[in-house]
Amino acid sequence: MSDTAHETVVDQRLEATHHCAHQVNAKPSPLHRINWPTLGPLIALVVISIAFTFINSSFATWSNMRAILDQASIPLVLAMGATLVILMGSIDLSIQGVMAASGLTFVLLSANSVNGNEFGIGAIIAGLVVGVIFGAFSGIIHTKLRIPSFMATLGVWYIGLGVATVLFGDTVPELEDAGLLSWANATPLGIANGVLVAVAVVIIAVLIMRFSSLGRNALAIGADENLARLNSIPVNRYKIYVFTFAGLLSGVAGILGTMRIGNGIVEVGSGQLFFTTAAVVVGGTLLSGGRGGPLRSVVGVFLLTVINNGLILSGASPVYQQLIAGIVIVTAVVLAGLRQRSRLRIIK
Amino acid sequence: MTVITENTLELVDVTKTFGSMKALDSVNIRVAPHEVVGLIGENGAGKSTLLKLLAGVHQQNSGELIIRGQKQRMKAPSDGANLGIGVVHQEQSLIVNLTVAENLHLGSAGTPGEKRGVNRLGLYNWAELNRQAETALRRIGSSIDPTTIVEDLSFTDRQMVEIAKAVQVAEHSGAEPLLILDEPTAILEPQETEILEREVARLKQLGSVIFVSHRLQEVLRVSDRIYVLRHGRVVGERNSKDVVEEELFQLMTGRESRQTANEAVGRTLGRQVLSVQGLTRRGHFRDVSFSIRAGEVCAFVGANGSGRDELARALFGAEPFDSGTFSVDGRPARSMRIRRAIRSAVAYLPSERKTEGMVAGLSVSENLTLAHPVDGQNGPIQLPGKRRAAMRRWIAKMDVRPADPDIDIARLSGGNQQKVVLGKWFLAKKLKVAILDHPLRGLDPGAKESVAQLIAEAAAAGCAIMLLADTLEEALGNGNSIIVMKDGTITERHNLAERIPALAELVEGMV
Repeated sequence: MSDTAHETVVDQRLEATHHCAHQVNAKPSPLHRINWPTLGPLIALVVISIAFTFINSSFATWSNMRAILDQASIPLVLAMGATLVILMGSIDLSIQGVMAASGLTFVLLSANSVNGNEFGIGAIIAGLVVGVIFGAFSGIIHTKLRIPSFMATLGVWYIGLGVATVLFGDTVPELEDAGLLSWANATPLGIANGVLVAVAVVIIAVLIMRFSSLGRNALAIGADENLARLNSIPVNRYKIYVFTFAGLLSGVAGILGTMRIGNGIVEVGSGQLFFTTAAVVVGGTLLSGGRGGPLRSVVGVFLLTVINNGLILSGASPVYQQLIAGIVIVTAVVLAGLRQRSRLRIIK
Repeated sequence: MTVITENTLELVDVTKTFGSMKALDSVNIRVAPHEVVGLIGENGAGKSTLLKLLAGVHQQNSGELIIRGQKQRMKAPSDGANLGIGVVHQEQSLIVNLTVAENLHLGSAGTPGEKRGVNRLGLYNWAELNRQAETALRRIGSSIDPTTIVEDLSFTDRQMVEIAKAVQVAEHSGAEPLLILDEPTAILEPQETEILEREVARLKQLGSVIFVSHRLQEVLRVSDRIYVLRHGRVVGERNSKDVVEEELFQLMTGRESRQTANEAVGRTLGRQVLSVQGLTRRGHFRDVSFSIRAGEVCAFVGANGSGRDELARALFGAEPFDSGTFSVDGRPARSMRIRRAIRSAVAYLPSERKTEGMVAGLSVSENLTLAHPVDGQNGPIQLPGKRRAAMRRWIAKMDVRPADPDIDIARLSGGNQQKVVLGKWFLAKKLKVAILDHPLRGLDPGAKESVAQLIAEAAAAGCAIMLLADTLEEALGNGNSIIVMKDGTITERHNLAERIPALAELVEGMV
């Protein structure tokens, strides 16, 4: 609180000097540049990590760090797409359905226990294409048919699950391509390949956010869709692009998940929607859009992953884990949005 | 190109009708190169239609549009830009979470020709974008850092970016630009308007300017020539140096000159109704003490960030405060909540009329009864017939036009909406305190006068009124007393019954 109050005072001084000096350019002080609300989740992450280190000595070990990275990798991939969608003021509920459809497409085209296919890399590409199609489909329904993204992607979620169930048939297709099966967990560079994929996706997402019209226009659309239109941004086109990008990443996550499990199941993405969306919001991206970014979501993903991991290590009963995770999320969201909520602001 | 005296713009007998209504009726206007032309008129006089015509949004039914000697017929908004016409709209067009440079880039995106800084794959070259933005800003004499996020800018600076954007678009055509500034000062504080006035003088060097404003004094100061529109016709064309404000007002409204005397000053005041002691909200205002008596209109003036807006909202309970006390009619109120404020007969008129003051989609009579129960309302049970009858009387009393209690409030003009929003509070049987946050903002002079009249009547009936004034003139014209705030504290107090302060004196307390 004192941080935000302090910031406002700085704001005011700047404004005051500004008025006196009329046209003098207000160069923000370095202090002003620090965005305190952004730092909140990071500080929480550090504090919680330190606390767990004291509670259980096995928390701060290299093997546990690797476990945390592994656990975080799929949510990280998903969160990058979700961040862009949420920044735009939309929501993507379809990720679990898309993951299932991509995952099963991938298994059934790789060497597997059900059919004679063996397309190797081709199977991966096919899985990604399925993600892209689903993402573009969500975007098109949302923009062209003018259906709120919440409803459009809710439907696509179930379409994805349905497609996956049909593909699944009646026996579990096991992944039998030895190279692909072990790839996600292999550690040729010291860390698992799956983690490296996540890191690459994060870097790409950050670059998109900073240096491409995809990211910048998503930000503009999130701020005010009508103004964006008046500023000649092709809003619908960019919405479709963003949903397609998110669909692609759901595909990546579905394939990674399937490689990990070793067989194709419809539940491959189970629980990911809640986890990713919560991580994005906890990280400090506003659900209303226009404010936030991929790096904040990275912090959010790690915050939630560390809490889950730490609770297990601390011997908390699994019965309580969900309860505690839920409380932490609600608390984090309350703290994150404290500054944005003036009393007359309407919350929907 | 042929002769020096060729006009930048000439409208010859331009008529525009919507259905059977003539929005513009044989309008003749000319703008010479490097001339600032003022355009004034009440709401509905045809100003916005005229601007939309020039921007290419509407097309005239008859008459000619001659731009730099060439007859033109504009079909799309981009035609205006291609002919060197740049419009700074009344509403902000900037995307606030992007940088200044990005906004200027977006502004240029509508014009044909190469767009540098963003390649075909949509990848940004920030250095190039920033450099371009800096050039565009320098051109209009502004030194705003192009990497600043727009929401960190003051309103004046945002206005500068809007102007840079319009100039950039207009100059793309290669001709000397014609810039249209639509109500550019509507939400600026007095000393900020000065900056804008200087800017207009600078734009005059670049090309021609059409300056649209409600504020007659400003129009007089910045324009070389002034056109007055009324009911779609040009009812007057004056050289600024040959005309006084009174005459413009009369031309514009068709009414006799407004009363300049401030009637409020002579009023006998009653007991203290609102008394504030040491009210503080960290970072916004500190140790504010004042009191307002029954029948008193106390006008608050101050620049952006002076804390007066937050103070007003805190008194109504819409925003918190940290310490201090205040009492309404002798009863202390340690903290305020909106419902309690309303029950203790405190009213608040928000500055954001459209989003906070009224409920669009509800009828006039429903809006009127939102805050206080009236006849025909018993708890949750509402009797529309009885309510309508009660509302008819109020609507007649406040002269809301059209006098239809069932019309959607969103369809009324700004002035009439404001009357309804004020009426919502004033129809309480015994209103004690009214906190009016910029009640006259964005209203045309005629509507301003009738709203001011409503306020004066409420005060005369014994209400204590805290008025956040848009301009110093407004404060001097409607208040019994003036309180000047700066950086969250009160710097000056004036009792107008004793002495009327000079404008310069007030400004001194603000900066």
